[in-house]
Amino acid sequence: MIAPRRRRIVLGCGCLALGALAPGAAASGAWHPPARFARPDEASEEGGLWGMFDREEARLRRSAFLVRDKALNDYVTGLACRLAGEHCADLRVYLVRTPHFNASMAPNGMMQVWSGLLLRAANEAQLAAVLGHEIGHFLARHSLERLRDVKSRAAFANFLAIFFAAARAGNVGQFAQLGVLASLFAFTREQEREADRIGLELMTRNGYAPGEAGAIWSQLLEEIKGDAVTYEEYASRSVLFATHPPIEERQQMLSDTAREIGRAEATRVGADSYRAALARHRTEFFGDELRRRRYGETLVLLERMRKAAADDGELEFYRGEVFRMRGEKDDLDQALSAYRHAEALRGAPPELFRSEGLVLRQLNQETESRIAFRRYLELKPAAEDAELIRTYLPRD
Amino acid sequence: MGLRGAILAAAVLLLSSCFAMVRMGPGTVTVRDAITVSSDGGWNRLDVPGGGGGEVWTSDGLSLDVLTFFVAIKDGDPLVPAPMGTRRTPPAFRAAMLPHQIVELFEASATQDGSTFRLERLAPSAFASADGFRFEFSMTRKRDDVALRGFAYGAVVKGKLYLVTFRAPRIHYYAKHLPRAEATVRSALIKP
Repeated sequence: MIAPRRRRIVLGCGCLALGALAPGAAASGAWHPPARFARPDEASEEGGLWGMFDREEARLRRSAFLVRDKALNDYVTGLACRLAGEHCADLRVYLVRTPHFNASMAPNGMMQVWSGLLLRAANEAQLAAVLGHEIGHFLARHSLERLRDVKSRAAFANFLAIFFAAARAGNVGQFAQLGVLASLFAFTREQEREADRIGLELMTRNGYAPGEAGAIWSQLLEEIKGDAVTYEEYASRSVLFATHPPIEERQQMLSDTAREIGRAEATRVGADSYRAALARHRTEFFGDELRRRRYGETLVLLERMRKAAADDGELEFYRGEVFRMRGEKDDLDQALSAYRHAEALRGAPPELFRSEGLVLRQLNQETESRIAFRRYLELKPAAEDAELIRTYLPRD
Repeated sequence: MGLRGAILAAAVLLLSSCFAMVRMGPGTVTVRDAITVSSDGGWNRLDVPGGGGGEVWTSDGLSLDVLTFFVAIKDGDPLVPAPMGTRRTPPAFRAAMLPHQIVELFEASATQDGSTFRLERLAPSAFASADGFRFEFSMTRKRDDVALRGFAYGAVVKGKLYLVTFRAPRIHYYAKHLPRAEATVRSALIKP
């Protein structure tokens, strides 16, 4: 039976990337999930807010940016459902093609998981940690205070409208915009801590290794440090929003809490099952990733992925692509060496030879570049750029 | 920044995006003192205060068809300036770039807003009396999920990039304007 209590507001937009934990504090005592929530009365303020999210969800459902592949949707929704238990019936998971690290949960049960997060999570346990955190905000029901904190609700509704417009324009994933939004949307440290705590509870109850919750943040931090400008933006934002401590602190708190929960039987990582579930989409997600042109970040991501799959020729090809596109100092040589290494591995795409040809041509190694271009045309005779590539080859 | 501050900033941003429109032609029109094209008189130039990047023309409106002229771009210059609020330097044109790299340069600017981009065709082509290239592409615009099609002509002449792109919604507008957009772009001549 659905409890007839007033539905509280969960404002999860953009919270994942910016949430924080209070140092040294950890909730104690056993946590029990609440009963299912009822939809608020449409005439109430909360009901009105739900309506706004409902309309946004209707738009999202039609979006060309949704990843519609049934297998991947079933996989992520299945994981969210296992974590959410009986609340599964109130959740709707949407996979959105946006190459940034984020997930969000709206008060009406609309959960968005961005492709940049799917690409970055190393295993099922890490995805479970993030989904668990978002479900934690949903279950905790303490977020009505966020709405109460905002002095003018009409202004807040206006702001939400601007937020949605910004989200449509694709700007929400950018650090700068997230920073402004964070000051308005962010949960408090206490709320973030509770969501993390609930997330850890949910993942360990489902047998997932809790250490992976901290690991995904360590990975993100490594990526941020890999790009000088991103790190500068990240560091300056930490100063600007001093109430939200940096990732380092959050990562530490998650590790501490994981130890406190200490379920010895929770050891599942699920790296292979995760890679298999993502396999069909990795090429598309990497295309979007490269378009961000955050070369340093992508190189760190690729290094990490290669450690888990050293014989993966596609990853090595992407590494070459990053060097080729950056094109600084000895990047072209590094690109060439990556392409040549990739040739010997499994799964390298035909485009490898086109890129190799382009780099060789830039390095004025005409003869070798022609060999690479010929190989590309052999593998992909109807390539979209075949006509142009042929002009690089001498006429027979 | 408080809530009121954020709303005010957004309002200022909206109001400051006012722009002027100037009808182009009919006849020979000079673009940024660098090239001339022949306009059928159905194009309007958009002058956006503070708007960087190429010169923008449209017939039915910015959402429905856009002809963009990137002309005489020098080695080291970007196609479009960096978006506000970032210290990241946008990718720059290099005189030694191959057509594939120029397509990637355009792709980087066209997808800055999160739109998708797919190269459909890339072939050699004369442009502005030079040996250049022509490419076709498809996109999904992030802002409104609209599927777009586009084409572009480009050439590097005396170390400077000349690139003219056209894009419009795949439904109706691309086909509607394609012949006249092609004719306009193909009439381009670099000013001596």
